[in-house]
Amino acid sequence: MNGAFIEATALTKVYQRGREQIRALDHVSFEIRRGEFVAITGPSGAGKTTLLSLIGCMDAPTSGTLKISGREVQGLSERERTRLRREEIGFVFQHFGLIPTLTVAENVALPALFAHRNGATRLDELLARVGLTQRRAHRPHELSGGEMQRVSVARALVNQPKLILADEPTGNLDSATGESIIALFQQLNRDGMTIVVVTHNAAMSAAARRQMVLRDGRIVEAQGE
Amino acid sequence: MTWLALSSNEWRRRPLRQGVTTAGVAIAVAAMFSLLTFHDGYRDGVRNEIERLGAHVLVVPKGCPYDAASIALHGANWPCYLKSNYLQEVAGTTGVASAAPAFMAALAAADGAPVVFVGIDERMLALRPGWKFDGAFPRRPGEVLAGAEAARLRHWRVGDQVALPELSATGTISGILNATHGADDSFLYTRLQDAQQWFQHRGELTHILVRLKDANLLEPTVAALRGCDAGMDMNVVPLAHLFRTIQRLANSTRLLLGSVAMIALLLAATGVSNAVLMSVTARTREIGVLRAVGASRGHVFGLIWLETMQICVAGGIIGVLLAFAGSHGVESWLRSGLPFAPSDALIRWDWLTAGLCLGGAALLGSFAALLPASRAAGLAPLEAMREGAKT
Repeated sequence: MNGAFIEATALTKVYQRGREQIRALDHVSFEIRRGEFVAITGPSGAGKTTLLSLIGCMDAPTSGTLKISGREVQGLSERERTRLRREEIGFVFQHFGLIPTLTVAENVALPALFAHRNGATRLDELLARVGLTQRRAHRPHELSGGEMQRVSVARALVNQPKLILADEPTGNLDSATGESIIALFQQLNRDGMTIVVVTHNAAMSAAARRQMVLRDGRIVEAQGE
Repeated sequence: MTWLALSSNEWRRRPLRQGVTTAGVAIAVAAMFSLLTFHDGYRDGVRNEIERLGAHVLVVPKGCPYDAASIALHGANWPCYLKSNYLQEVAGTTGVASAAPAFMAALAAADGAPVVFVGIDERMLALRPGWKFDGAFPRRPGEVLAGAEAARLRHWRVGDQVALPELSATGTISGILNATHGADDSFLYTRLQDAQQWFQHRGELTHILVRLKDANLLEPTVAALRGCDAGMDMNVVPLAHLFRTIQRLANSTRLLLGSVAMIALLLAATGVSNAVLMSVTARTREIGVLRAVGASRGHVFGLIWLETMQICVAGGIIGVLLAFAGSHGVESWLRSGLPFAPSDALIRWDWLTAGLCLGGAALLGSFAALLPASRAAGLAPLEAMREGAKT
């Protein structure tokens, strides 16, 4: 594998809730190399989603450093963070995050619109890859949960990112459907995609090549490669 | 996927709310379009009507000069009369080039529409150089010069012997006026003596139309007319003053209507802003997702701005078409409230005004979009997704 793609050093995130300070992440350090499939697990409130948000440039750390592709995220402007998110990262959400009034094809092409790219060129390939070619003109309410999550995955891939971040991608799916999403993630990883997934799903965690267990904002266990 | 398609999503999601908001803009723009076209139409209508009279000064019996002017311009019965011998005094006043006497009376036809007879003599031709007619000017007893519309309605031709409508008399159509697009088209012009006889007002006139040698000498000539022996028994109405006074009266109506239209526009802008703001609040999570998948603050601002513009421009187009389609009704309503309404169309299609109204609607949209678009663009992606998950 290649060198560190994501490098966190003493990453800390503190939220202020009224007078109370919540230390969501507490001096977390780790590296993720290109092409890795990492599952972040742990109990609710452990800081998993906070960590994913920081890696996804959706939030800024309180202290510590986070490097993605060699660039320090905290030194980037809002505009640069948006560009990084748009060009290098694809998101998959537990609740899919699809626009209900858009068709499958339109939802998949949406990030390409923001990147000023022609999403139509990759659309057929992506829909075929997630097995939704026949559903391209359907709207989200006409799809099953598994199909919606596949649309979400196709959307995450449209701008050819280097990293997929998934927050509980099987959280809203039954186990059979969840397995098909896990298989899809494994296939993407075999094709070279770096994947970081926050999950409670043991099967998803087992499918990842490496597991990080978070508790009270700290990494308490790391397994795998 | 295009920006236009993405920004038109709210129409699919909440068609009723979008429709009601658009209707608010349409009503405001319709009011503005009607008001602006009315302003131009009214001014041009009054000016054309006064110019068609061909006179600088109107001499009428004592009483309200504006009522008298309105009767002279549109045709109706007069409440009082001038003595015919005033004509000589008027014609002899310094600065007067020509003075044309007129006797006007109106009879109600079976359908309720008035039949207006105007007795004149050849001096009227000096005031109406634009008049063109087939046949001849009425010079013999019983001869009638019919307005274009009056002749068309009754299928009269030059030389026809006709029963004069609503009068127990017959006449000969000596001539038919070419269309003037004014009140003249519906008048029946006869010899002055015939009109005085038919309506039993021998030796009396309803008004005298006066043309000056020099229009710049209006004030001294009007003063001289008021100072002549007959001056105490007649009103001397300078038509330029009449035009200004009517415009002033209309302006006060316009100001009132303009205020209402402006308030309607402000309310529409507030309504649009509020509706889009509600839509942004309802879509907080969705906006968070858009930011997560790569939309910048500028993209989100542009998206909400485009949504607002769609409402306002659609409202503008509908409003302008609505105003034009309903112009007859609006015109009737305006006529009922105006102190003086010209017979010309008050509201008519005007591309410049239509463009102005659409531009105004777009400007309204830009202002209305500022708050919701700024609010949407200011949402941090993570906060938006968390906030949206709560709602």
